[in-house]
Amino acid sequence: MIEVSNLVKTYTLTKQQKKELQTTAGSINAVNNVSFNCTPGRVFSLLGPNGAGKTTTLRMIATILKPTSGNVRVSGYSVVDEPDQVRKSIGFLTGSTNLYERLTPEEIVKYFADLHGISKADFKNRKEELFDRLGINEFAKKRIGQMSTGMKQKVSIARSMIHDPSVVIFDEPTSGLDVITASSIIDLIKQCKQENKTVIFSSHIMSEVDLLCDDLAIIAKGNLVFSGSMDDYRAQSEGKSLTETFIDVVNANQIINA
Amino acid sequence: MKTILTVIRKELLDTLRDKRTLITAILLPMLLIPVLMFGVTKLQSSILKKEQTKDIKIAIYQAPESFANYLQDESIEIVEGLDIEDAKAAVENDSIDAVLEFAPDFQANVDQMKSGTINLNYKTTELMLYKRISGKIEVFKTDILQDRVKQLNITTEAINPVVIQQNDMASSKERLGKIFGGFLPYMFIIMCFSGCMYPALDLITGEKEKGTIETLLTVPASRFNILLGKMLTIAFVGLFSAIMIILGLFISLKLFPDIPAEFLTAINGVISVKFVLMMFAMLIPLSVFFAGVLSALVVRANSFKEAQSIVTPLTFVVLIPAMLAMLPGIDLTWKTVWIPILNIALATKEIIAETIEMKYFFVIVVSLIIFALLSVIYSHKQFSKENMVLK
Repeated sequence: MIEVSNLVKTYTLTKQQKKELQTTAGSINAVNNVSFNCTPGRVFSLLGPNGAGKTTTLRMIATILKPTSGNVRVSGYSVVDEPDQVRKSIGFLTGSTNLYERLTPEEIVKYFADLHGISKADFKNRKEELFDRLGINEFAKKRIGQMSTGMKQKVSIARSMIHDPSVVIFDEPTSGLDVITASSIIDLIKQCKQENKTVIFSSHIMSEVDLLCDDLAIIAKGNLVFSGSMDDYRAQSEGKSLTETFIDVVNANQIINA
Repeated sequence: MKTILTVIRKELLDTLRDKRTLITAILLPMLLIPVLMFGVTKLQSSILKKEQTKDIKIAIYQAPESFANYLQDESIEIVEGLDIEDAKAAVENDSIDAVLEFAPDFQANVDQMKSGTINLNYKTTELMLYKRISGKIEVFKTDILQDRVKQLNITTEAINPVVIQQNDMASSKERLGKIFGGFLPYMFIIMCFSGCMYPALDLITGEKEKGTIETLLTVPASRFNILLGKMLTIAFVGLFSAIMIILGLFISLKLFPDIPAEFLTAINGVISVKFVLMMFAMLIPLSVFFAGVLSALVVRANSFKEAQSIVTPLTFVVLIPAMLAMLPGIDLTWKTVWIPILNIALATKEIIAETIEMKYFFVIVVSLIIFALLSVIYSHKQFSKENMVLK
């Protein structure tokens, strides 16, 4: 369960940044009063163009960034007041995440298991299950530096899932991956849904969203411009393609803002 | 505590698998001094030998007949048949090495018990030349002196009324302290710093550059403990580098053939349990201090390149107090004990010489620990800033 309420993240602008953005404002809201809920057993998708505030939102949910105002409750715990409790229940994976080049999959997964404080027995079971399912055993003792992107992605997944999180956060998990490699992520998301986990992922690829998601929110320039179920969204499309509707929604909002 | 150990174990494993770290932090400091010492002295002695046995050409003018006997040497060739001015010109253009020109009244002065003058024309850039020729002249001079002693019917002591008997009261340890006391801490301070440098870039900036930091920030383990684990790993590598260079120095001193025996005994006397403990008491907080400062500074960098440009100028900040300790006249006082780096260098000198006062040593260790703690706190502050940790 993720409950996002009135979430705001404000950044103070430097002189340089003001010039680039051609603004005189002293600060900018990267995320502006955003609220939505993600429920267990359903896949929630956060859509938006580049720079819309997707990553910032997900980072606040994952306790990497602190909200300027508003709050997020993950499994009932507040990211502001109980970040450690939140961290215990989340798994976080981004498309741009790298791994430690000189370590092996076993060592990396063990490292994160230890940082999560998982017991030896739990670690052994989880590791065996994940390594079997993802097919990591073949290269479990090879160093990351010698692996292909696909292998690395599998290890990333194992690392993010080793503590069996009830809430999984994916930030553009398939960006930069080929179709075959991306499919391991798609499978993972499907499996999480089956296991009744709460899943939120950000993307700007409509086909992926169409395939996986149950609920979605669209943000543009930090503002929430659509929030509802995938069925609602399809209904709103009125025969147009989902991508076209996405572009329409974002553009309509940008005109209002301007 | 468990987190700290987990982080240290992982980071050490990661660091030890990095060839660059292994070379700069372990191999280089261990081999640096032996290679330098053997290389430089080998080169020096071979040059010296060459200069000493090199064939030289000398032209001699108006010399007493007997003088020729003194120059009989296989490596000395007497050039004849040149005009004196031509001979001097030949020295200038390097075709002759020296022109010995006896004053016209040389023999007359010598006979009258006065001083006779010999003009030696040569280039001082020929390093061993003066020593070789003056050595020959010295024998000539001694013979004249003997003649005079006989003629005047006196003893040699009569013309040598004062003899200085030197008694060196410095113990061999004190002399050792003087020679290596400045050099040794200079080396291990620099090595400790450069040993911390690479892992700091790798463990702190590396996480940012490679994008591994985000995931690390989502684990429930305490962030302070993760940072502390990283800093202790950095400090450990720095400490290890410092130990390696000290080890390298002692090994080369032991293996080196030309070290006087009394020095060797002094060296053996210096390496006691007390010495090792006192050095560790200073080196451990020093390496933590370096690790803390370096982590705090490189956390703002987004790439290795950027981090290196931040850290490189810092090397000079460390070099200066380490070099100051080598200057004469700078000693351990109530003022200098508070200056980090300088204090440890000065104390090492005195520990080797066994002249250290325990109250100074105590203050140094305590102040180093305080500096180390402050650097850790400062580093944690920097690490807690969102804009520092994320790209």
